[in-house]
Amino acid sequence: MAATRVNPRQGRIVALILTAGVVALGALLATPARLVGAKSQDVPLVVYSAQGYDKNTVAAFQKATGIPTEIVDDSTGPLLARIAAEASNPQWGLLWVDGDEAFAALDRQGTLLKHFEPKVNWTAAAKKVIPADKSYIPTGFTLACALIYNSAVVSTPPSSWSQLTGAEWRGALGMNNPSVSGPTYPCVAGVLQHAGSVSAGERYFEQLKANGLVIHDVNGDTLNALQSGQIKLAMIQSSAAIGAAEDSSLKVAFLNPETLLPSVIGIDSKVSRQERLEAERFAEYVLSRPGQHQMQVGDPHGDSLYWPVLRGVNPLPALPQFAAVPYQVLNAYSWGPREAALNNWFTNNIVS
Amino acid sequence: MKSLSLPGQPSKRGRGSLRAAPGLFGWAGLALLLVVPVGLFLVTAFSPRLFDQGSAWFSLGSFGSAIQSGVLRGILDSILVGSLTAVVAVAIALFLAWWVARTNLVGRGLWSFLIWAVLLSPSYLVALGWEQVLVSHGAFWDLGLRLPWLTSLFFGPVGVTFVYITKGVPFAFLAVAPALAGIGREYEDAARIHGAGRLRAWRTLLPMLAPAIWAGLALVFAETISDFGVADTLAASSKFPLATFTLFNSIDNFPVHFPVAAAVGWFLVGAVGLALLLQARAIRGRVYAVLSGRTRSPVRIRLSRSGQLLGLGFAMGFFGLALGAPMLGALTSSLLRPGSAHLAGAAVSTIYYRQLLHSGALIAPLEFSARMAAIVATIVAVLAVAMAHYLTRRQAGVSARILDLLLLATIALPGIVLGAGYIFAYNLPLINRLGIHLYGTSLLLGMAYLAGALPTTTRILVGPLAQVDQSPVQAARVLGAGPLRALAAVVFPMVARSCLWAWLLTFTGVLFELPVSQMLYPPGQFPLSVAITTALATYVYGPGTAMIVVAIAFALAVVGVALVGFRWLAPRGWRNLAVAQR
Repeated sequence: MAATRVNPRQGRIVALILTAGVVALGALLATPARLVGAKSQDVPLVVYSAQGYDKNTVAAFQKATGIPTEIVDDSTGPLLARIAAEASNPQWGLLWVDGDEAFAALDRQGTLLKHFEPKVNWTAAAKKVIPADKSYIPTGFTLACALIYNSAVVSTPPSSWSQLTGAEWRGALGMNNPSVSGPTYPCVAGVLQHAGSVSAGERYFEQLKANGLVIHDVNGDTLNALQSGQIKLAMIQSSAAIGAAEDSSLKVAFLNPETLLPSVIGIDSKVSRQERLEAERFAEYVLSRPGQHQMQVGDPHGDSLYWPVLRGVNPLPALPQFAAVPYQVLNAYSWGPREAALNNWFTNNIVS
Repeated sequence: MKSLSLPGQPSKRGRGSLRAAPGLFGWAGLALLLVVPVGLFLVTAFSPRLFDQGSAWFSLGSFGSAIQSGVLRGILDSILVGSLTAVVAVAIALFLAWWVARTNLVGRGLWSFLIWAVLLSPSYLVALGWEQVLVSHGAFWDLGLRLPWLTSLFFGPVGVTFVYITKGVPFAFLAVAPALAGIGREYEDAARIHGAGRLRAWRTLLPMLAPAIWAGLALVFAETISDFGVADTLAASSKFPLATFTLFNSIDNFPVHFPVAAAVGWFLVGAVGLALLLQARAIRGRVYAVLSGRTRSPVRIRLSRSGQLLGLGFAMGFFGLALGAPMLGALTSSLLRPGSAHLAGAAVSTIYYRQLLHSGALIAPLEFSARMAAIVATIVAVLAVAMAHYLTRRQAGVSARILDLLLLATIALPGIVLGAGYIFAYNLPLINRLGIHLYGTSLLLGMAYLAGALPTTTRILVGPLAQVDQSPVQAARVLGAGPLRALAAVVFPMVARSCLWAWLLTFTGVLFELPVSQMLYPPGQFPLSVAITTALATYVYGPGTAMIVVAIAFALAVVGVALVGFRWLAPRGWRNLAVAQR
């Protein structure tokens, strides 16, 4: 009788869907972790961060202030994509990544809270990085393009950018692909700025290419090439370079000028008042002595190797004095919007 | 072909609303899981303003930008590589499947198992492994194999296609192996009785495999053009831009241009539409029901010594190429002492493994991802069978074709499209005002995993399920079994092993899934892939690669336990009927 009333196939599908539903419900009930977004009375501060020291800093902040804080930790690219996708209804409270170009772009879109600046004793370099509308703040400095070399084969490293195109370094220099490795774009932009114009900078990179520049995707590949002898020197972010040089024959040198790469905090302009206050307290905590301590212990062979933006706070012993580093500052508002075009140019003309 | 079996069961066209309800329910579920998120993402190509991705309510500018950024070259490269990969991968898979399913080749269990190992090695790892082996001063260099011509050949279209083929073979194998094993001995016997030689008998079998072969071709094509792991590593450094690289470039560089990415998405969907059209023309109007309760296990061909050597050489050659390089890459990186670059005895150290177990950095993400993977795989294993069954019924009409296009289009779109689409759809202020807060929860992440896994798994099952004959079901119903009983007692035993494979495929896929995880993971709960990539982003490869090795070992252990468990626990009849025999 049933066959004449109900299509057996439909019956089967219903049964299967019901089974799946029961399994899903069972799993749902069995999963103790946060599964559905129950809005509690406490508004948690949601931190999007790509810093190696973020998890311990967030935990310490929560312990010190009692403010519930949740972290989404990832590379800079995916975090910015997530923020862009959330544009119509932002869920992040505070963003903490390296490089201020993205923050300048977010500021132009009206996404960042303006006119917030913790009352701290900034270094001279930090003051040069803070934008006029105070839409973001620096929390530390690394260099976008430190020179790391193999001291077993290089006794005197180059000291100026122009030397790198010389015959002595033919086929010896490596760097990352800015389309794949996030911190490499400020390095490329810094070289272009130092060259005086985009076209002059592009010519410089073409000369480097003609001199046998070796491009790898990310730091790990480039350092591997350096250690295996494929190249003799490489340009990578200073924290990675100094970390890699700690227990090997690799050494770090600085060209004149080096491009500053600030680690930066920005606060979402659309958050509730309570979350905004929490985010401001987080920024203040990061710039306090306990916060700086957390930044320095969280990733001692990587991101913790930064120069502080506060007077009276010393960097980790592995770093040279900041005063000894010749540096330049990039204007994030003019270099940020060119990132896609320049990375595309680099991929098409320099990567081979 | 029509004489091979009874036609499918007669259709009873119900007119009552109750009868339409399950179908509507299913479509509503698919709409929430797939159509709405993917559709909203694609719509941003025309209407950036809709999700605050630009100022225009309607504009075609994103297509112009996509073309300017080289999408046409990328899509052409992707289609060429995808087509070549599909054909070669299916051919290799047919050879492998024939040896494994139809002959007494030594080590059949091992080869079936290794297929899974290839399937679950992330494509970027395979590409990076080869790069490390072949790059000048790489592993080959250390071994004295200095072959600059091979290096320059590999860093280009040849190398990219090669890596995709090794990654495509498991998908093709899973589509054709159950079909090859499931074709009963009677057809072969009939051919032989009528005087056909072994080769001729083969030619009789091959057309019966058409649905599985086409399913394999379409699947490998869609998987290849949607891949990002190779596009972002080997293809990018070889100056061989693929469509997904163009898509990701518009998202990965700041400011993020989702509308341009969506425009590239349209090109990918178009490419898949073409592939599907070809497939539909090839198998239209034919019946492939050859698997039934009367199906007898095929006789394994006893290979001669030279046959064994040939088969073993083929299998060892393939798996050596597919797994050797990436494993060598991952193992050397994870076993090196910090600061060393060569795998010499003195430099080997287990320091990263000890650090990993000591720090617990892997345990929580592994636990979280394993739990999500188990839940999603269980649901997918059930739903995918139902959907594959729906797709393969004889009366499949327009709705089945739409479903097919939808599934393949979703496969062709990279995961980040799904991730972003989920944010667009489920983070709308309107949804929040209704009191639904799904974004940032494990539930939404699980839904997206489900949406990502369901299409691939369903398409893999289409092959084996096309062969399930309806006559035993009808017999059961005539003898008084209800629809559920008929399903449990007749259909399920025939597809049990396919279900198991579907479960394992989804489990391993979700365990290592990256782009959706990155976009949707709940704050504070780190999926395995995110933990691995953030560890790999540091300058030392060691901790990240040690994580990969441990995670792959875990996944392989799960696969091993499940396959052995099925062998021991499943009723004997199921194993005899099971369509994918070892």
